[in-house]
Amino acid sequence: MSAPIETMVSGTINGRTVAVAKDTPLLQAARDNGVGIPTLCHHPALPPDGNCRLCLVEVGGKLAASCLYPLREDGFSVVTESGKIAGARAFVVKLLLSRAPEDECLLRLAALYQTAPDPRLAGDEDGCLRCGRCVRACHAAGSDAVALVGRGRSRKVAGAFLEPPADCAGCLACARVCPTGAVKFRETKNSRSIWGKEFSLAPCPVCGRTVGTPEELARAGLDPGGALCPECRRRAMAGALLALPENAAPKRG
Amino acid sequence: MSRLIHFCHFLVNSDYFVGNIRAMSQFDFQTLEDLLAGTPTEPRHLLPFLQRTQEKFRHLPREALLAAAAHFSLPASRVFAVASFYKAFSLVPKGERLIAVCQGTACHLRGGPQVAASLEKRLGLKIGQTSADGRYGLESVNCLGACALAPVATVDGAVRGHLTPGRAAELL
Repeated sequence: MSAPIETMVSGTINGRTVAVAKDTPLLQAARDNGVGIPTLCHHPALPPDGNCRLCLVEVGGKLAASCLYPLREDGFSVVTESGKIAGARAFVVKLLLSRAPEDECLLRLAALYQTAPDPRLAGDEDGCLRCGRCVRACHAAGSDAVALVGRGRSRKVAGAFLEPPADCAGCLACARVCPTGAVKFRETKNSRSIWGKEFSLAPCPVCGRTVGTPEELARAGLDPGGALCPECRRRAMAGALLALPENAAPKRG
Repeated sequence: MSRLIHFCHFLVNSDYFVGNIRAMSQFDFQTLEDLLAGTPTEPRHLLPFLQRTQEKFRHLPREALLAAAAHFSLPASRVFAVASFYKAFSLVPKGERLIAVCQGTACHLRGGPQVAASLEKRLGLKIGQTSADGRYGLESVNCLGACALAPVATVDGAVRGHLTPGRAAELL
């Protein structure tokens, strides 16, 4: 349902008049209106954090990170492409490249904004952009096992005391949202390792397919030893519904 | 007191305790408990608590960070992120006598680096290190706003000015 009219605000994006619900983040307002803005640390299921700075746009002539910019008042005037913006994004890409010089997405952006890694920033190529997506995903999943620790150049994603995090459930939420694949894990049929921790993998009691680690099943309120895989759960649920008396085949005559 | 017992229970059950029993038995839990006693449990009181802990213990002991996580209901990773972010906090014990030599512009011009070098030589330490016996810690600082007294250093926070490499010995 659309918002009541008094909670809408209107302004222009690239000269075109748009109306959006009050407090809509500028990034979302632009995308909803068909205007593309590049992002790396943004994830639709996670709260914005403004870490990658790629979504910089001009609001009333000033640069702002669009993912964190709520549209509050009428009369906003947004420009998403300009020389100033391209220059700022080129610099951002240059800095991000110093962490992940081989990332495909970054290389495409580097070609787009005509920039290249700065040799003076060499030596930190661990592939991690410090975008914090993994940290936010871990929080959303309910664990808070990792955080961005330290500051400046030595800032990195790690568990408390730089140790394998006690509260990591091995669910891979962090690895799945990483934009550069920098969150590493290993997985065999029966085991998984991530953040220096080893996990066993629980099989589905019906089909034997891997369901997840006992820790992540327990966190989700499922039986850590014998949770059904999604497919078997669907089948079991369908069977239970069919067995209900009202679903019994109607009697003839 | 019940919180302390509860916390000890938590420590005993954590992996960390195993193999660290000796170190744990020496840890001053009473001081930690006193520091936490008057602290409200809203997360915004974490920083003041860490500042008081740093002052008392001369670093942020692991026990204090774990206790803070429990006290403020914050994840240990978040508490560690805060503790590792600020330069005012240290995760390893700082020296009993903390000497910070200013390397700001005015002090630099008036011989700050020579004062620092003299102290490094006398203490057998590099800037940023703590002596093996824990008595002295040597640090640099970027400006204390006391440029008229350049070159300056602080000894446990007290400013000493107009230093020379020779007079640096007086700080010890």
